[in-house]
Amino acid sequence: MIDRANIGTTYREALKRYRPRDERPLPEPGIDDEKLLNKFHPDHIAESLTTLKVGINRGDPCHRQLADLLQSDSRINEADLAGAATVETDVLVIGGGGAGCTAALIAQQQGARVILATKLRLGDSNTVMAEGGIQASINKDDSPQFHYNDTIKAGHHQSVPDLVSQLVLDGPDVIRWLIQQGMQFDLDEFGDLLTRRAGGTSADRICFYRDYTGLEMMRVLREAVHNSNIDVWDYCPTVELLGDDLGGCSGAVISSLKNRKYIQVNAKAVIIATGGIGRMHLNGFPTSNHFGATGDGLILAYRMGAALRDLDSFQYHPTGLAHPFHLAGSLITEGVRSCGTYLLNSKGERFVDELSARDIVAASVIRECREGRGIVTDDNNCGVWLDIPGLELRQPGILQQRFPKLMRLGEKAEIDLTKKPLLIYPTLHYQNGGVVINENCETSIPGLFCTGEVTGGIHGRNRIMGNALLEIISFGRKAGMAAAQRRKKKRSSQLSIEHLNQLRRELTNMGLSMETEGPLLFPEYAKFDLDSDYAGLRRNRGSTS
Amino acid sequence: MSTDDLNQVLLHPDRRFGADLDTWLVDIGGDGLESAIQNREEILPTIHKANLLGLGGSGFPTHVKWEFVANEPSDQDKYLICNGNEDEPGTFKDRILLQETPHQVIEGAMITALATGTNQIVFYINPEQEGSLEAMKEATNQWSETDYVSQISELLGRPLEFYIVASSGHYIGGEETAAIESIEGKFPFPRGKPPYPAQTGLFGLPTLINNVETMANVSHIIRNGSDWFINLGHGESHGTKIFSLSGDVLRPGAYELPMGTPLSNLIYEHGGGMLLDRKLKAVFTGGPSNTILTPKDLDVPLDFESVQQRRSSLGTGAMIVISEGTGIVRRVTEYVSFFANSSCGQCPSCKTGTFYASQLLTRIDSGNGNRADLDTLINLTRILPGSGRCHLLDGAMKLLDSSLYHFMEEYEQPLKHS
Amino acid sequence: MSDSKKEVQVTINGKQICVPSTLSVIQALWHAGYPRVQGVGCLEGVCGSCRVLVRRSDTQEVSMEMGCQTLVEEGMEVMFLVFPSPSQHTYTLEQIPNSWEVQTEFHKIFPEAQQCRNCHGCSVACPKGISVEKGVELAVKGRFKEAGDLFVECIMCDLCMTGCPEQIAPNRVGLFSRRVTAYFHARPSNLINRLEKIRTGELQIIKE
Repeated sequence: MIDRANIGTTYREALKRYRPRDERPLPEPGIDDEKLLNKFHPDHIAESLTTLKVGINRGDPCHRQLADLLQSDSRINEADLAGAATVETDVLVIGGGGAGCTAALIAQQQGARVILATKLRLGDSNTVMAEGGIQASINKDDSPQFHYNDTIKAGHHQSVPDLVSQLVLDGPDVIRWLIQQGMQFDLDEFGDLLTRRAGGTSADRICFYRDYTGLEMMRVLREAVHNSNIDVWDYCPTVELLGDDLGGCSGAVISSLKNRKYIQVNAKAVIIATGGIGRMHLNGFPTSNHFGATGDGLILAYRMGAALRDLDSFQYHPTGLAHPFHLAGSLITEGVRSCGTYLLNSKGERFVDELSARDIVAASVIRECREGRGIVTDDNNCGVWLDIPGLELRQPGILQQRFPKLMRLGEKAEIDLTKKPLLIYPTLHYQNGGVVINENCETSIPGLFCTGEVTGGIHGRNRIMGNALLEIISFGRKAGMAAAQRRKKKRSSQLSIEHLNQLRRELTNMGLSMETEGPLLFPEYAKFDLDSDYAGLRRNRGSTS
Repeated sequence: MSTDDLNQVLLHPDRRFGADLDTWLVDIGGDGLESAIQNREEILPTIHKANLLGLGGSGFPTHVKWEFVANEPSDQDKYLICNGNEDEPGTFKDRILLQETPHQVIEGAMITALATGTNQIVFYINPEQEGSLEAMKEATNQWSETDYVSQISELLGRPLEFYIVASSGHYIGGEETAAIESIEGKFPFPRGKPPYPAQTGLFGLPTLINNVETMANVSHIIRNGSDWFINLGHGESHGTKIFSLSGDVLRPGAYELPMGTPLSNLIYEHGGGMLLDRKLKAVFTGGPSNTILTPKDLDVPLDFESVQQRRSSLGTGAMIVISEGTGIVRRVTEYVSFFANSSCGQCPSCKTGTFYASQLLTRIDSGNGNRADLDTLINLTRILPGSGRCHLLDGAMKLLDSSLYHFMEEYEQPLKHS
Repeated sequence: MSDSKKEVQVTINGKQICVPSTLSVIQALWHAGYPRVQGVGCLEGVCGSCRVLVRRSDTQEVSMEMGCQTLVEEGMEVMFLVFPSPSQHTYTLEQIPNSWEVQTEFHKIFPEAQQCRNCHGCSVACPKGISVEKGVELAVKGRFKEAGDLFVECIMCDLCMTGCPEQIAPNRVGLFSRRVTAYFHARPSNLINRLEKIRTGELQIIKE
C-alpha cells in the first residue's frame, strides 16, 4: 500500500475525544479543486502511470497494473482448443451482473438463443452491492437536461454527449421496465417515487429502495433470467474471444470450473458485461467491489482489437469502511451523505462540502490523512470520521428507517451508530473508462458488444452516484437488442484465435515479458493459479515453450 | 446347524395365527398375565433380573425406563406407547409381531401396565402396514371383552384403555418424543429433552415408550421366569432377538435367534449363505444408521454389547448384506438420501447437512465428483455430529463415516481427475 | 499488545490454521495461503455465495452463516457449502393475467407452500434473521405485500430452501411476493407523467 499515511491521532484517542453534535460549520478548504485532485487523487500518482506499448491504444496513458494485464499473454494456446467441446448459440453474454442479465433478457425476448456465461454465480456482481440508487429525472423541477448537465460536468466534460443524452432520456423508462420486472422502489404515501440527491448534482433524482437498491434489482433480474430460456453457465470464466476471417468476433473460449474443461462457444454476437477492476486493488487500495471484478472484459476486448479509453481514470468512493479490519473496504452508501452526514477529521472539524463530486471528497479525505489530521487504527489503517451520530441527532429515526443495511454493518462492526462515528477512507470503487462503444453498444469489432462498467465514455473521468445502475439497464437493453439483430446473419465459418498470435508478435517485438497471463480472473490472494483443483485449466505450454 | 435355536419364542410357528384370542388363551396365552395379576409387585424385579433390553434399537434396560414411570404419582392417567412405527430401510420385524401375534404384544403391554401403573395403552403403528392395524384393532377389541381388562382397571384404580393410532408414516415419527407429538395430532417433530417423557410425555402426562418386540417378550418372561430368559441367550446375553435379514443372501427374512448368535451363523446357516456364492463385502446394521460391519466381523456375537465393541450397533436387528460386486457408494447414497428426505426440518444443520451430503454422494457415485467433493464429504462427518436434536443426523453421519473408513478406494475410484 | 496481533486456531474445510483474530473466515483462509475461488462473492454479505457451516468451540450446535461476515474465533470449525440452487419452480410475471389471479397462480407455481409443517427450520437457518416461515404463511394466505416486506434483506442464499423438508422454496416465495407487489401495484404518477413528456418529445437534450 503506497498511499496510506499512518500519521495522526490513534483510533482510541480520537474516539475518546469525539462528541456527537448536531451542527458544525464548514471551513474554507484552502486549496482549489484542481490542485487538490492533482496532489491527492490516486489517479495522479505519477509512478502508477505508464504508456501502452502494444495494441490499438498504443501511446495512451494507462494505470500500470492494468497495462501489465492488457499487455499480458493469453491463458490458452491452440492446443487447448483441440479437445474442447463446441457449442453454438446466437448471442453469448459474458457476465452475470445487472448489465449481463438485462442484455440476455432482452436478446432472448427478441427471439435469440442466448447463453449467459458468468465467472461465479448468476448475480454475483457489483450490482448486488449498489446501495444508493438509480438516477432518473422524474421530478417536476428536474429534467433530463439537468441530468445531462450534471453528468457532463461531473465527468469533467470528457463524456460522449450522444451516449449521455441517450442515457438521461432513457432514465424514466428504465425505472418503468424495472418495475415491470417486479422491482420495488421506495414510494411516498401517494405512491409516487421518492428521490434523493446525489453529490455534485442539481436535483433530487436518485430513485432507491432503502439502501438495498442493487440487491433488490439484482434478485429481480436474476429471478427473471432463471425463469427464462436463457442458458446460464455459472462458474464459467471466459478466457479468450474467438476471432473470424472477417475481422469480427464470433464467440469465445470458456473455462468451466466445474468440469475443468474448455468449451468453445460459437456465437453470432458476443456481449461483454464483465464489470470493473476493483479487485485489481490499484495502488494497493481496498475496494468496495465484488470478488470477481478483475477487469477481464477489458483484456479480452483489447486483444481482439477493440479500442479502450480513459484507462488512467478510476473512481475512489470517499466512504469505504476503514475499521474494523475484517470489513475494511466495505462501502458506505453516498445516500448517507446525501441526507446530510458530515465528514470530520481527528480534531472534529469538517474539511469538505460532503456533497461535492466523489473525486473531490475522496481527495480531501486523503489530504486530511496525509497531512496528519487523520485517525489511525491498530491495524495501521488511516481514515476520518463519518459523523453518523450527528445525522441521527438532526433527523432522529432516519437510520432505522432509511438505512437498514448500514445499521447491519454497524452491528457487525460492533459499533453503535447512534453514538459512535465510523472510520472511513476512500475505497476503489469504479472504472470510469473502458471499451469504446456507440449508442447501440457496438465496439469497433463487428459482432462484439459491450455494456456496463466495462465500457467507457459515459461517465467521462468521474461518475455521479446512481448513473451506474442506470447505465447497466439502459445500455444493457440496447446491447441485447442490437446483438439479437445479428441472429439472422450467417456466421463466418472460419473461427480462430489468430489474434493471439498477433498479440504475441507485438509483445515480442516490443520486448515485453510474457510471464504474466491474462485475464486475471481472480484476485491474486484467491490463489486460483495455485489451486490444484484447476490444474486442468493451466495453459498447455507444449507449443510455446 | 442349530435350527433348534430358531424361532423359539416370539416367532414360534404355533403362535403365528393372528387375532384369535381364544386360540391364544388355549395354549400359553394368559398365563403370564394371570401370574402378573397375582403378584403385581414381582413383575418389575423379574424384568430387572431378566435384564430385558430395549429391542427397538437402543438396548436400554427396560426395567429402568419402567421404574421412572412407575415412580410418578399414580393419581393421574399414565401412558404406555407401544412403538410400531418401523420405517427404516431393512427392518421388518414389528409388522410380523403385530400382524401375526397381536395377542403376544397386547398381553405384554397389559403386564407392563400393571408394573408401571400406566392405564392408557397406545399402539402406535406405521399406517402403511394395514394388516398390522387391522389385526391390532380386532385383537384389542377381543381383549376388551374379557375380565382381564376390568381386573387390571381395578388394580390400577383407573380404567385400562387401548388406542390404536396410525403414525404419520414419517421415519422420524419413530423417535420417542416425535411419537408423542404425532399421537397428540401434530407433526412428528422430536422434542428437546428434558423434560423426559417419563415425567412430561403424552398430553403432559407420564409416558412410557417401548418397542413392539420388547413388549412381546414380557408375557413369556413373567410366565417362565427370568432364569429361563437368561438361558435363552448365548454366553452373557439374554433372550432372543429378531433379525431382519436382507440383501444378497439366499434366504432373506425375519429370524428369531438367541441373543449373541454369531453373524456368520445368521448369514450362512439361517440365511442360506450368500446369493450365487459371492463373497461377503459388508453388512449394514439397522436401520442403516450405524457403522458398517465387514467380513472380519463375521464372528461377532449379535448382541448389543459385542456389536458395540466393533464400533457398530445392533440397532433394530436389521442386517442388510452386501456382496462383492455391489457398490458401497451407491448404497450409502441411497441411505443418506433416505435420511435427508426424512429429516424433519427443525434443525437446519441436519436438513441442509444431509441434503448436501446426499448431493455430494450422488455426484461422486455418478462419476461427476472430484477430490474436493470427497474432502467436503469427509469434513461433513466431522462437523455435523451432535448438532441435531435427535439421532437422525448422527446416524447418517456414522454410516457415511464408516463407509469412508472401510471403502475409501470405492469413493476415490470414480473421481474425476483433472 | 493490540487486538490485531492476537492469533487464533481455527479449522476451515478440515485445515487447521492459525490466523489473526481480526479476519473473516474467507480472509483467514487466504491469509493462510489456501486457494478459495468458489463460494466467494461480494464479500459484503449481500450476495449469498459464501455460505458456511460453523461450529464454535463451546457448543455442539452448528449454525449457518456468511463466511465473509463471520469473524474467526478460537477453536472454531468452519465448512464452506457450495451447491447450486435446488429450486424447481419456474414462472413468469406475464403468466398472471391480472392482479385478481395472483393467488390462484401462486398456488399453481408453489403448490408445496401450503404444506408448511411449521418446523421453523427456514427461519432458524436464515443468516439474515428473516421471519421466513411467517412470510410463507402470509403468501399462502394471499397477503403478498406483507409477505414480501419480510424479505427486504433476503440475499437468496438458498439456505431456507435446502433446510425445508417440504421442498418449499421460501426465498422464492418471498421474491414472488415482492415482484407481484411491484408489478401490479407500483404506478408512480411522477414517473408516468415524465414518461409521457418524453414520449411526446417535449423534453429534448441540447448537447454540449
